Amino acid sequence: MKLNAAIGTLAASAAALVAAPVDYVREIQPLLAQNCYQCHGATQPKHGLRLDTAALALKGGQAGPAIKPGKSSDSLLVQVISGTHKDLARMPYKKPPLSAAQIALVRRWIDEGAKAPANEVPGSKAHWAFVAPKRPAVPTIGNRQSAIAHPIDAFIRARLAKEKLTPSPEADRPTLIRRLSLDLLGLPPKPADVDAFVNDQSPDAYEKLVERLLASPHYGERWGRWWLDVARYADSNGYSIDAPRTIWRYRDWVIAALNRDLPFDQFTIEQLAGDMLPNATMEQKVATGFHRNTQINQEGGIDKEQFRLESVVDRVNTTGAAWLGLTVGCMQCHDHKFDPLLQKEYYGLFAMLNNQDEPDLPLVSADQAKHVAEIEARVAGYIADLFKKDAGIVDRELKWETSMTPEQRQAMPQLWREVFDVPPTQRTDAQKLVMVTSYVEHAAENKTHQAAIKKFRAEKPKVETTMVMREAAKARRTYLHIKGDFTRDGGDVKAHFPSALHPFKGVADREPNRLDLAHWLVDEANPLTARVVVNRVWQQYFGKGLVDTENDFGTQGSLPSHPELLDWLAVEFQKPSGSSRGNEAPSEKAASQSLLTSAATRPWSLKGLHRLIVTSATYRQSSAVRADLQRVDANNKLLARQNRLRLDAEIVRDVGLTASGLLTPTLGGPSVYPPIPENAMALGQRKQPWPTSTGPDRFRRGLYTFYYRATPPPSMNVFDAPDGYSTCTRRIRSNTPLQALALLNDTAYVEFAEGLATRVLKEVPANDTTRLEHAFRLCLARKPSATEATRLGELLKAETASVTDAEVKAVKAPAGVEPKQFAAWTTVARVLLNLDEAITRE
Amino acid sequence: MNHEPQNPLLATTRRHFFNRCGMGLGSVALASLMADKAKAVVPKLVNPFAPKGGHATAKAKRVIYLFMAGGPSQLELFDYKPKLVELNGQPIPQSYIEGKRFAFMGSSHGVKCLGTRKHFERRGQAGTWISDMLPYTSGVADDIAVVTTCATNLFNHAPAKLFMNTGSGQFGRPSLGAWATYGIGSEANDLPGFVVLQSGPRGPRGGAVNWGSGFLPTTFQGVPLRGQGEPILNLTSPAGITAARQRRTLDAVRDLNLQRLVATGDDEINTRISAYEMAYRMQSSAPELIDISGESKATLDLYGVDPAKPSFARNCLLARRLIERGTRFVQLYHTNWDSHGGPGETLEDDFPKVVKDVDQGCAALVKDLKARGLLEDTLVIWGGEFGRTPMGENRDKTGRNHHIDAFSMWFAGGGIKGGQTVGETDELGFGVAHDRCHVHDLHATILHLLGLDHLKLTFRFQGRDYRLTDVHGELIHKLLA
Repeated sequence: MKLNAAIGTLAASAAALVAAPVDYVREIQPLLAQNCYQCHGATQPKHGLRLDTAALALKGGQAGPAIKPGKSSDSLLVQVISGTHKDLARMPYKKPPLSAAQIALVRRWIDEGAKAPANEVPGSKAHWAFVAPKRPAVPTIGNRQSAIAHPIDAFIRARLAKEKLTPSPEADRPTLIRRLSLDLLGLPPKPADVDAFVNDQSPDAYEKLVERLLASPHYGERWGRWWLDVARYADSNGYSIDAPRTIWRYRDWVIAALNRDLPFDQFTIEQLAGDMLPNATMEQKVATGFHRNTQINQEGGIDKEQFRLESVVDRVNTTGAAWLGLTVGCMQCHDHKFDPLLQKEYYGLFAMLNNQDEPDLPLVSADQAKHVAEIEARVAGYIADLFKKDAGIVDRELKWETSMTPEQRQAMPQLWREVFDVPPTQRTDAQKLVMVTSYVEHAAENKTHQAAIKKFRAEKPKVETTMVMREAAKARRTYLHIKGDFTRDGGDVKAHFPSALHPFKGVADREPNRLDLAHWLVDEANPLTARVVVNRVWQQYFGKGLVDTENDFGTQGSLPSHPELLDWLAVEFQKPSGSSRGNEAPSEKAASQSLLTSAATRPWSLKGLHRLIVTSATYRQSSAVRADLQRVDANNKLLARQNRLRLDAEIVRDVGLTASGLLTPTLGGPSVYPPIPENAMALGQRKQPWPTSTGPDRFRRGLYTFYYRATPPPSMNVFDAPDGYSTCTRRIRSNTPLQALALLNDTAYVEFAEGLATRVLKEVPANDTTRLEHAFRLCLARKPSATEATRLGELLKAETASVTDAEVKAVKAPAGVEPKQFAAWTTVARVLLNLDEAITRE
Repeated sequence: MNHEPQNPLLATTRRHFFNRCGMGLGSVALASLMADKAKAVVPKLVNPFAPKGGHATAKAKRVIYLFMAGGPSQLELFDYKPKLVELNGQPIPQSYIEGKRFAFMGSSHGVKCLGTRKHFERRGQAGTWISDMLPYTSGVADDIAVVTTCATNLFNHAPAKLFMNTGSGQFGRPSLGAWATYGIGSEANDLPGFVVLQSGPRGPRGGAVNWGSGFLPTTFQGVPLRGQGEPILNLTSPAGITAARQRRTLDAVRDLNLQRLVATGDDEINTRISAYEMAYRMQSSAPELIDISGESKATLDLYGVDPAKPSFARNCLLARRLIERGTRFVQLYHTNWDSHGGPGETLEDDFPKVVKDVDQGCAALVKDLKARGLLEDTLVIWGGEFGRTPMGENRDKTGRNHHIDAFSMWFAGGGIKGGQTVGETDELGFGVAHDRCHVHDLHATILHLLGLDHLKLTFRFQGRDYRLTDVHGELIHKLLA
C-alpha cells in the first residue's frame, strides 16, 4: 500500500510538473468507465445519474449535478470519490477507492473547466478501444547530439523522462544473441554464432543478426506455437474419450504461413474462411482447421446437436478473444454487463459461424480420390453381396455385438456407435447393413472376408486427411439461446455485426457470412484487431502487454500503460510508414536508415512488427533488477529495464535438445512421441497409446510432441503449456517443484544430460576448464564467471572422485568415451540443464 | 487474502546456504557477494502455498472428496422409494418427464418405472435409510449427513464431471480443490497441497481438467498420486543417481542459482531454489507416504487393504496419511459407476461389485479419522457427477440412465451435522420435494466450512471477478452443525 501511495504521489507530482491540460477522452473517461459505469451507465442508472458522457455528468441525477466546472471542491463527484460527502457513501460503492492520483486527476480536470468533446455519444461507444487508432506523433526527445531514433524508444523514454527515470544499459552481446534466438526461433544460439556476433564490429551487427534469424525456418515454429495457443490446437478430440485426431497439417500450415510472412489480414481470412475464397487452394482449405480445433464429444448417449452448438459457441468466443480482445462469451447468456454488446449481437456473430459442415479433407489429387472411391465401392459391393446372400449374417452380427465390452464399442467409429444404440428390432435395412459391415470388418471369425477386403485395399494410395470447414449449401437457422440454453428458443437471429464496433462495408443484399466476418475483422476501420495482435506480440517480448488484460480490451480491461505507443504500433502494423520518421540525429542516421529500409514492409507484416520491436533499445536493455526502480515501478510497467522470462514449455525442451546436440531440426509432419514417464497416460478414460519414438523423431522440438487434451504430456503440462480446451491468449508462468522433478529426473532430460556430456567430451580436447566453459556456453551462451567456474570445477572433482568401480561398469558410455568421465560429466551436464538461467530468457 | 507471509522456505534456504554450505572457495566468495548485493535489492518471496487465513473461522481445515465417477444409483443405495417399487414396470407419469432431456434419448432411454430390488432399512440412532448394499457405511450412519436432493445441470459424463468440479460446463475454470488451495494455502511442506488418487478399471472421463487450475496459477492444480509405479511422475532419481549424487547435484544447482540471483536480483530465482528443495524433500516424503508397512494390522483390516494391491481402500488410507502430512485437499476417483444395463454395467451383477469396492474403505476412513481426532476438522464428501433415473433403461439387463434432477451424496466431519438426511425427493425419486441442493449450493457450503466466503473468493480474469459459484450458491444451513 505504501508503495502504491508513493507511486500515486509521484505520478501526481509528475503530472503537475508537466502541466498539460487533462485529456478527458484519454484520462478521465476511461477512469469513469472502469469505476462508475456499472451503476451509472446507460442501463438502469442508479439515482438517475449517468456518467457516460461529460454532459450527462453535468446534468446530474437526483442529487443534482455531479460536476461544477472550475470548482472541484464543490463537485459532488469529487466529494463522493474522496469520501468527504456528509450524506452519501464513498464511491465506488463497496469497492476499493480510487487512488490519490486518480482523484487528483479528476479534480484537475474539473478545475480546468471539465472540458470534453461536444460530440460525445451516450453509451460507452466512445470507449478508447472502440475508436480506431490514429497514428500519434512520435515524441521528440533528447538533444540534437543524441536524439532517440527509434519510435518505440521515443515513446518509452518520453514516459520515463516524465517520471525522471533512466533506461537500463544495453545487455551484453552474449545475452542479446541468446535473447534474440530464444525470442525469434525458440532455440539457444550455438557458441560459434555467439562468437561471430560478439566479434562483429560493424555498426549494423545487431540488425544483420535480426535479419538472419527472421529468415530461419525455425522462426515459423516459435511464432507458430504462439498462434497455436490461440487456436487451441491439440492432437485429440477432448471430452471423455479423447481419441486421437489428425489435424497436424493445420499446424504445419501455420508454421509455413508465418515463415513466408503471409500478411496478417490474409492469415486471418484463410483461417476463418479459406474454403470460401474463389478457387480456394488445398492450402487455403487446410487453413480453416483453425476453427476445427474445437473438442468433439464422442461419449455415448449425447445429443449431437448440443455439442455441435457448443463448438460454435467456442468458435464465437475464440474469435472474440483472438481478434477483438473482447469477452464476448459473456453475451452468450445475457447482454454484456459492462461493454455495449448485446446478447442478440452474439447470436448475430454466431449465425456467421453456424453454417459449415465439418469434414475431414483428404489431401489427395483428384485422380487419387477417384481411385480410392472405386476401391471403397468394391469393398461395399462385396459386403452388400454377403448381406444379400448370407441369411445368417445378421444374427451372427448381433451375437458379436452383444459380446462386445463398452470400451470396445466406444472405440468404433461414430457412425457405427450410433447404430449400436438403436435396439436391433428397430433397425432399418440400411442400419443392419452398417452393422454387418462393422461385423465383417472387425469380428475375429471373419478372417476370410477380411483377407479379401484387405486385398482390394492393398492398391489404395495412402491418404492423409486433415480437419477443415466447408460452408454448407443451405444455411442453418440461428436463434437466440435464452440464458445461453440452446433448448430455449428466443427467436430467429439474422447474421449481423455488433453496433458498437465499425460497420460492415460489404454487400447489403444478403446476410453476412463467415468470409464477411473475416474481412470485417481485418477491415482497417476495425479499432481492435491491430491493437490486440500488436499487444500480444509485445507481451511475448516483455512478459506483459501494453494492455496487460490482453484478453479484455473492453471497459473492464486495464488501460494501456503507453496508449500512444500502442496506437502507433497498431497503425504502423496496418500501414507501415516507410517514410522518414524525422527526429533522427546525424550520428544515428546510418543505423536507423538500415532499420527503416528493412522496416518498410508490406502492411500487416508480422515479421516487420517483430523487427520493429526487437531493434528498439527498449528491447535490448539489460533485465537486471534495479533498486531505484523497485521503489517506484516494481512491476516494471514503464520498462526502464527488460524482464527475465521463464521459457515456454516447448522451448524448455528445445534448449535441452539443442545444448545436447540431439535435436532433430526437421520441420513439420505428424506429431511424435518422445519418452514420457510410465503411467503418464493412465489418467484419462481411455489409456491412450504412446508408441515412444525411436530414432530421429525422439528428438524433435517440443511443439511436435503429440498432445492429448485429457492426458497432456507431463513435462509440457508442468511448464504451463495450454490445455487446448479453450483459446489461450497468455500463458501463465508458474514455478513449482514438479518442474524441478521433470528437469532432474525425466528420461528425456537424462538423455539430454548424457548427450551434452558426450558432446563436450568429444568436441573439446582433454582440458577440464575448456570443457566446462564449452558446456556452460552450450546451455547459457555466455562464459562462466570465475566463481561459477570454480563451483563447477569443485563439482566435477567431487563427482569424479565419487564414481565407484561398480558404477563405472554399469554406466552405458558411448563408444570412445571413458565411463568414469562420462558419469562425472553427466552430473555436471544435469546441473547446467537445471539452472534457472537455462530455462529463462534473460 | 493479501497476506504475504515471510517465506519459511527462503529462510531455510538462506540458513542452509550460510551454515551448511560454507564449503569451497566459490561458496565463500558467493557469501560475501550476497552480503553486499542483498542490501541493494532485497528479493521478497511469496510462497504461494503458505497457509492463509480465510474470510471466517474454518470448521474444516481439509477435505477428502470421494468422487464416484460415472454416477452411482441413489435408488439402490440411499433414496428409498416404496412407491417406485409398487409401480415397477409401469410407465412413469408423463407429468414427470414432460419437456425433460436425457442422455441416450434416441436409443435406450426408457420410460418405465424400475423399483429397486434392494432391501432398505433405517440405520443408526438417526434412522437414516441405507440399503443392504452398504453394510459398512450403515455402521457410520450417525456420522454422515446424506443429502438426497442434490441437483446438477448437465447429463453427459465429461461435462457433468467438469460441472461438479468447477461449477461450470465450460472449460477453463478452476476446480474446487484448486480454489480451496488458492484460498487457504496448504500446510504441507514436502507434499503438494492438492492431491488426486484414482482407482477402478479406468481413469475418470475428462482427465486432467477435473483437477485443473483453470485461470488460476498452475501451482494450484491437483497433482495425481499414482497407484502403480512412481507415485508422482518423475519422482525417482534416474538410474545410477544415488541419493548423495542427487544432493550434490542439487547443491551445485542451488549455489549457481544463488549467484544468478545476486547478479540479476530476480525473485523468481528464489522461488526456483525453494521449488528444488521441495522437490528433493518430495523424493523422500512421497515414498514414505505410500509406504504403509508401518500401519498396524488393525488399521489395514479396518480398511480392508491388501498392501500389495492398489485399491480404493488403499487410497482411502493414503488420503488419511496425506492430510496428516498437511495436504489440504485430497480427491479420490473411483470408476466405474455407469450402470446402464449393458455388458459390464448392469445393476444386477456389476453395480454390486463397485459398491463393494468402496463401502468398507469409505466407512473405515470416517472411523479412522474419528479415532484419531481428525474427523472434527476434516470434511469428507462422497458422491458422483449425477445420479440415475427412476426409470429403467432398454438394454440387455437392468440399468438406469443418467439423472440430474435429484441424486444422493453424503458429507461427514468438520462442521457437518452428522446422523441426518437432508432434503426429500418426490415419491418416485425423480425430482426434489423440498431442500434442493444444487451443485453451486454444495460448493458454497464446502467453501464456507473451509472458512471461505464463496462471494468473496474471487479471481480476476478477462475483466471479471470469477467465483466458483458464478452468480449462484446458497449455504445449505441444514447440513451445518
